[in-house]
This record gives sequence, structure tokens and C-alpha cells, in this order.
Amino acid sequence: MEINNPRHLWQLKFEGEWPTSVAFLGDRRRIAAGNRAGQIFVWELPETPPVPVKHENEEKEPAPPDCPPVRRLDGHANSVTHLVCAPDGKTLISSSLDRSVRLWDAEAVPTGTAEVVLDSQDRQRRARNKSGEEKDAILNAPGQTLETVECLHVLEGHRDWVSSLGMNRDGKRLISGDLSSNVIVWDLDGREAVFNWTGQAWNGIVAAALSPDGQTALVSEYCYKRDDFDIPAAALKLWNVADGSEKLDLLKLQFPKLDAGATSYGAAQVWRKFVANGLIAADFSPDGRLLAVGQGGETDIGQVHIFEVETGKLLRSVSGHRYGVCDVMFSADGRYVLSSGRDTQVRICQVSDGKEITVLGKERGGQFKDWLHAIDISPDQRYVAAADIAGMVHVWQLQS
Amino acid sequence: MRCPGHEHVSRRALLKGTLATAAGGAVMNWGNLFQSRATAAEVERGQKRCILLWMNGGASQFETFDMKVGRPTGGLFREISTNVPGTRVCELMPTIAQNMDKLAVIRSMRTSQVDHPGGIHLMHTGYSEAAGIRFPEMGAVVAKYLGRDGSDLPNFIKIFPHGNTGSGFLGPMYQPFTLSPEGNLPTFSRSNLNPEIESRRSELRSFVEEQYARQHKAETARMHREAYEAARRLQNVQAVFHIDDEWEKYRDLYGDSAFGRRCLLARRLVEEGVPFVEVGQSSYDSHADNFVWHRGLLPPMERAWAGLLNDLEQRGLLEHTLVVWMGEIGRTPSINNRSGRDHYVRSWSTALAGGGVKGGLVYGESDEDGIDVKDNPVTEGDFFATIYQALGIDPAVEHYNGVRPIPIAPFGSKVVQDLLA
Repeated sequence: MEINNPRHLWQLKFEGEWPTSVAFLGDRRRIAAGNRAGQIFVWELPETPPVPVKHENEEKEPAPPDCPPVRRLDGHANSVTHLVCAPDGKTLISSSLDRSVRLWDAEAVPTGTAEVVLDSQDRQRRARNKSGEEKDAILNAPGQTLETVECLHVLEGHRDWVSSLGMNRDGKRLISGDLSSNVIVWDLDGREAVFNWTGQAWNGIVAAALSPDGQTALVSEYCYKRDDFDIPAAALKLWNVADGSEKLDLLKLQFPKLDAGATSYGAAQVWRKFVANGLIAADFSPDGRLLAVGQGGETDIGQVHIFEVETGKLLRSVSGHRYGVCDVMFSADGRYVLSSGRDTQVRICQVSDGKEITVLGKERGGQFKDWLHAIDISPDQRYVAAADIAGMVHVWQLQS
Repeated sequence: MRCPGHEHVSRRALLKGTLATAAGGAVMNWGNLFQSRATAAEVERGQKRCILLWMNGGASQFETFDMKVGRPTGGLFREISTNVPGTRVCELMPTIAQNMDKLAVIRSMRTSQVDHPGGIHLMHTGYSEAAGIRFPEMGAVVAKYLGRDGSDLPNFIKIFPHGNTGSGFLGPMYQPFTLSPEGNLPTFSRSNLNPEIESRRSELRSFVEEQYARQHKAETARMHREAYEAARRLQNVQAVFHIDDEWEKYRDLYGDSAFGRRCLLARRLVEEGVPFVEVGQSSYDSHADNFVWHRGLLPPMERAWAGLLNDLEQRGLLEHTLVVWMGEIGRTPSINNRSGRDHYVRSWSTALAGGGVKGGLVYGESDEDGIDVKDNPVTEGDFFATIYQALGIDPAVEHYNGVRPIPIAPFGSKVVQDLLA
């Protein structure tokens, strides 16, 4: 990945419900994004974005251009939590709070058409000082007509919100976890569960990832069941996928003497400082040697812990998102770790020394910022996309 | 109605009591400070009792009893059907859903205090805070009217307490006795002396105090003596607080949680005749991550709540025990950019069950987005008046703060008769 004077290239409107997930489909010009309503849209961007026009008397720089989506993938009945794209560039996998994992062929023959409105907030803004017919005309203007596609297959097995999703490098193995602490490893060719296990009672699986070879799974658990002053239960473990045996307990390695169930207030603070409100995002480095895990939930400063997979040793904690991390990814060359957070920013840090190379996006006003809920890197490693809860999908070009 | 003259606590007496209890933290915590009898009366089966399940921070009505699925305010959870046809609740409450026939849900609460301190005061007393007046908590009122003089157990017990209004102008006699989140007795409630030495020491103290009391008529001395007596009586019933033996048997019914253990202890206490027990659960103030927090907090809570109702029913206690479920506020229809809901009191939900109220009832209605009450608003005063009426306490009964008459439910409050059995 080369980074040189990044440029905000696109700002795609996806208003209504929060965009929660994003994935490039095979190349930098095709992007899928999902939201809290369970909708997934696909955009096909032109080769070159139009140049934004700055109007006279406008002080602010114009926003990057928008481009309407071309497809909607219909099927989920509740929030999409994650999207991942298989190496073939057209098979999209989504997880959802509707307790399902769905497989989609993004190039499938459409099954219908639909009219959608993805600029509802913009319409409200424009209609604010208008009245009567003028207001109605803005609010009820025709939407965008696009194709609809139904899902290819539903992977059933979860009985609770599917909160985490990951895939190995060749796209043959998938891992998903739910908030009842169930983890399933799927064989995508056979479309069947090949292994499953359950974490601690009451915990939820808040992050799951597979090593590039698909042989090792990282599972992060967290418990939201607590009254004031309880110490949150959490687990961060590496598992052998072949037989479901535990490989390493990463938290135990960090805190060998700490009994998280019965400990002092002081020790609990150390624990909390490391776990924050859940280690909610994870990724293996492309060579499988390292692991990045992001501190999430609403926390003071959310960092990304980088571990050595073989030993479980914590190499360093990098980045620093105000109020917490939302998503984490390694670049394909393993040199950088990218993270998005509740500070409306994407931070790119050098893995070797933790140095922050660049920041994409700006903190918004107000005490609490909007979140960049998810990120993805284009297969050519030249573009980064982020799902912004304010109702946008951003695309940055890393070299301008 | 006015309270009897001998129970009227004057301003002077109140001040004296406050000073006296302030002199020793241990004394502050004992119920029945004014009343001391050596033996507790046998519990009468028909005595009314009340358990308040207090959701501190304010549980969301949108994630419990007043869902707006499909609306912009609806959030991420889905509805499930209940054992009352046509009534649906949040999917996080499957056990309560199967016990809806025991509940009277109010979907039209409209209260006046939107912040935590004000809301906690309001929903513990029925009144907003006012300069110069310390209103009593519901538990103190119930202790006064339904409590037993000289009982071994305090008449007002709070497990994991929230709010500190206490007995207010009713005086220290009705102060709550507070237990830790684990339901443990305060350390000062146990004597380290062996019983024989303790008994001799008590006799000596009584002798000295009696001599002193003959020459000094101050209330302070009497209160001090009675506090010791209450402490001594509590030694007789400490076993009630030790739930470990019974917990194994009831773990499945109440669910394996701290809140479940608190609810089991509450059942044991009302079974022993304690007229008012408050059980707290904290952390509902979900300005951020509202959905995952409710996802964590509600399942253990609803399981324990349903377990409590069934346990009370099986023991023949439910018809005499009013179980109140509420927090101090509701939560906003809009979802903020922290995935949270903020404070809201224009339209929210509470629930009642058991003694004195109908089951299987939903009272009131909010509009389609839950922004306002559409039908049958219930104020804090109406809510308290209805609770007192259900417990057989006249909500219009007046006490005096100086010369000012103060009814236990605010002037103008209406009993919601539709809720009463």
C-alpha cells in the first residue's frame, strides 16, 4: 500500500438508517454497503469522478461527488452487521441482526426493480424553510430506480444476532459469531457448518476472524450483563479450527495473575483499560503472523492492540480513536493497520513502529462525533471506503 | 384523612431525630427506631406487601413494553407475542412474555423530572424536590402504614439502594435498611461477641440507659436505646439474609444473575413479613450503545422478575404482594449518534403485578412514534395514588410538615381505577 496525499474522492449518499458495513466488490469501482434497516446497496462508480463545482460566495470546499447505487440486495429483515467479499469479486457475504448469514451473487440476474430514496435527510434540510407545494415537491420527489436482487443462499445456524463475521484468504472458510456466544466456522463451497463452539455463558461474540490459512480462529467475547462496578467478563482466544481446541488465551497471557471474576478495584481498572467496552474488531495480517484487535464500545481513547499470533505476545498498541474503535484491517502488504472509529476518522498506522502515517476524514462538531462504522480496502490497495453513520459512504484515494 | 396525633412527627422531633441519627452512621440505618418491642408478631397471610424493582438510570420503553417496530424510532429489537392475545413485548423478555397475564403495563407515563436526581426523587416519593421539605419514599409510607411494630426485621429494606430520600418527614422510624448489591448485611449488623457476653453487655447498657432516661426525657436517648434493640432483634433473623442454601434450588427459576439473587432475597423478606423491599438494578442510562446495554441487562432482569412472580404465586403470596417495575425516567424516541437514547418523560412505561391490580392489562397508549401519550396519561401522582390504593393505603392521607398538610400522593392525583383488581 502506498500513501501519498490522500484525496476524498466520493461521498455516496446512503441516508435513512445508519450505514454499518462496506465492502469493495472485486475492484475499486464496485462497492456494497449495508445499513441498520437491513438494506444492502451496490454502487458502480465511474472511472473518474466529476469535479465538484465551487459556487461563488461559498466559503466551504464543495463536498466530494455523489453517485446513485445501481442495485439493492433484498433479504435481511434487520440491521446488517458486516459485509465481506470473496476473492472472486462477486460473492458477497453479509451477517445480520436477523440472525442469518446470507450469500449474494452481486452479478446475479435482477429479480425486479424498486424506487428508493437515499437522500431523505438532504430533502428534510432543503424543505426546512419551505412551505406548501414547494415543500411537498422536495419531500416527495421521485427517488432512484434500481434493480433488486435476491440472495443466493442463507446460512442458518445462529439463534441470536450475528454480531461478527470473518473470512480466510482463499474465501473458502467463513467464521461468524452471535450474541449468545455461539461461533460457527462455515465451509463456503459446501455451504455448511464445519465446526461450532460456545463461549462463556452470557457473553456475546463481539469479534471473530480467521487466519489466512483458515486453520486458526480468533474469537473475542464480551459481556454486557452487568450492574455498576461489576467487572465485565471478556475473553480473547485463539482456537484451532480443525478440532476446536484452545490455542492461546490472549487475555490470560496479558494478565496471568488476574482473576477477572473476583479481583480488586485497582486490578479491574487495568483490565478495563485493556479490554475497554469490548475488543470488537479483529483482523489477521496477510502472512498470519500478527493480529490486530480494536478497543470498542464507548471508551475514552480506543486503541488497536497488535499481537504476535505464535506467542500471543502484545507487540504494541497503536492508533487512538476518541470514544472507541469500530473496525480494523491490515493492508495487503502487512505494513499498515487501518482503523475507523467513533471520531469520524480512519487512521493508518505503520505496524513496525506504530507511527500514525495519515488520518482520513475530520472530527465533526459536537461532543460526540459520528462513527465510521466499517472500512474496506480496494483489492488494488489504492482506495479505502468507510461507512459513515451520518448517512454516507466515503471513498478515499490513497495517492493523488 | 389526617394521621393520628401520636404519629405526627413535629418539625422539632424530626430535627432531633436527624441530629441523633447523624451522630452515628450505624443508627442511621436501622428501621423502627421509635418503636421497640421484644417480639415480632406472626405474619398475617393477608397483610399487603410491596416489592419495587428499580431500574436505575431508566430502562427504555422502546426496548421493553412499548415497541415501535418499523418506525424511525423503533430501534433494533423485534416484538414477540405474549400469553395475552394481542399484547406484544420486546424479544428480550421471553419469560415475562409468558407471564403477561400477571402484569398491568402502563404505556402512558408522563412525568415531570427528566434528570436522574430529580427523577429518582420523584419516582421514589411522588413529589418533585422542594426546599424545606423532605418527602418520604414510597417504602417509608408503606412501612408506616403496613409495617409491624417491634418486628425483628426492618419494615423497609433496600437491596442495592438508589436514591437517598429515605423516610423524609415521617422520621427516622421509617428509614430504609440498606443491603449491598450482593444482599449482604452491613458489617456493623453482626456482633463479634459471644451470645452470653453480648447478653450481659446489653443488660448493663439497658440498666445505664434506664437510669439516664429517668433523669433525661430527651428523645435522643430513647432513639439510641431503640436502635440497639432493633440491632439485637436483627440477630434473631440473620438467617433470612443467607440465601446460598436456597439459591441452588431456585437458580433456574430466577436465572443465574446478581439481580436474580436479589429478587430471591426479596421474596424471602416479604415472606417473613417485611412490607416493603426495593430491589435495584443499575446501568440503564444508555446514552451510548443503548441496544447492546439493554441486550445485556434485560435478559437477567426479566428472568428474575418472572421467577419472582411465579415464586410468589406458588407460595400464595402474589395476591397480597404488589410488584412494581419502574425506573426514574424513560428514554428518547430518537436514537443519537452514540447509538444511544437520552432521557425522556413525555411518554414512557412502567408495570405493576400482583396484589391489588389486574393482570393481562395494557393501560394507556403512546402515539405511533412514541413521542407523546395518545391516550390516558398517567402522572407520577396518579401512579403513586394507584399503588397506595392497591396496597390499601388511602392516597389522600395527610401528614404535616410544620403546619403544612401534605398528602402521601400529591394533591390532584387520580387513582387509575382501571388498573385495580
